[in-house]
Amino acid sequence: MMPMFIVLNILMTATIVLAFLWAPSAEILGHSSRIIYFHVPVAWVSVLSFAVSGIMSIVYLRDRNTKYKLIEEKAHASASIGLAFTVLTIISGSIWAKISWGSFWNWDPRERTIVVLLLIYIAYFILRAALGDSPEKRRISSAYLVFTMAVMPFFVFVIPRMYDTLHPDTIINTDRKIKLATEMRLVLLLGALSFTALYINLYRISVRIISLRKTIEEDDDE
Amino acid sequence: MVSDIIRNLKKDLVIEFRTRVSFAISLAFAAISTIAISLVSGGAPFTDLVYSVLFWLILFFSAMNGLAHVFTREEEEGTSLFLMLNSGSDSIFLGKLVFNAVFFLILETVIAPLYLFFLQVVPASPGHFIAVAVAGGLAVSSSTTLLGAMVARAGGKGALFTIISFPVLLPVIWVSIAETAGSLSEGGAMSRGNVVFLLAFSALVVAISLVLFRAVWETE
Repeated sequence: MMPMFIVLNILMTATIVLAFLWAPSAEILGHSSRIIYFHVPVAWVSVLSFAVSGIMSIVYLRDRNTKYKLIEEKAHASASIGLAFTVLTIISGSIWAKISWGSFWNWDPRERTIVVLLLIYIAYFILRAALGDSPEKRRISSAYLVFTMAVMPFFVFVIPRMYDTLHPDTIINTDRKIKLATEMRLVLLLGALSFTALYINLYRISVRIISLRKTIEEDDDE
Repeated sequence: MVSDIIRNLKKDLVIEFRTRVSFAISLAFAAISTIAISLVSGGAPFTDLVYSVLFWLILFFSAMNGLAHVFTREEEEGTSLFLMLNSGSDSIFLGKLVFNAVFFLILETVIAPLYLFFLQVVPASPGHFIAVAVAGGLAVSSSTTLLGAMVARAGGKGALFTIISFPVLLPVIWVSIAETAGSLSEGGAMSRGNVVFLLAFSALVVAISLVLFRAVWETE
């Protein structure tokens, strides 16, 4: 646990320092563009958490007496982290939207996608809670995650291409490609790595809590 | 398998025809919403997009009152285990899916004329309007069949079905609204891509639902 925590600290410190002191600001967007080094990685982790919980749910549904212990609970833990990161994505995106586009919310296709992800997470937690202590709880909530994961490509790849977007990758240039300076690209990549490390740390802490809780429950039963 | 599907479908249709509970509730909800909008707006004209949004909102919330009922009824009456012993999970799912598609298309057949009459909407391209309504209806019923089974397993609690269906149905509703608005306006050409999107979406969710249904419906 400790080395990973140290890696996280180094990466996060480097990201913060480089984002504010080394990377140049974007020509059109100015210093507000520096939020990209936090907003994009946070959005990446919200999708990553969703994908991880979806894949774990597939593993659980394929083999319920799985050799991977507590995998459904781990999927739930990943989704919990994902929910927090989705909220952070919406908050950081709204701040940037207010500065760049003049209003906190514009129903841009990408904003729609992240709201849908938030609604999916909320629906998953409500469904899981509604199932209470039912023996089907794990199966049904896993099936819901897999079902929504199958639909997600429509939001991520299809819908944003059907409607015009305000997001920078299409307004900065006409050939719809992101053209970032090398320094900006490097810091963005570093940011993605830092927030991935943060996700891994949070996930490992959650898994430890789940394992400890399970051990306590088993001790109580004995 | 086909005979199983037909048998299950026939059973559901007979029960629904006998009680008419879900259909009556959904229809009453749609009629009340349509009349309420017409009454409150006092005949004021809206843009085509607003008319389209209202049409799909009425359809969505009316359907939410009825589409899960085909599964919650099995749970309430304690017949789900019996059903499972008599038919394979694929036959059960496909029977319920066809029932929901028929249910939604009947609902649309009744709601659309009511809506057009009370809100005084005249589609510029009726064929286009019908094509979108049918494709959107198929997408809604395909997406919600598996979710209905999940809600039934969770005890059919309150608004749970709407909460878990809404995120899944959003792409369908967006595309249907955009395309219906096009069918209402003069010169709004039909985008085949949108209709194909709705049909492709239906095919995908049916395929995924077939794979997942066994996990949702079987009891331990």
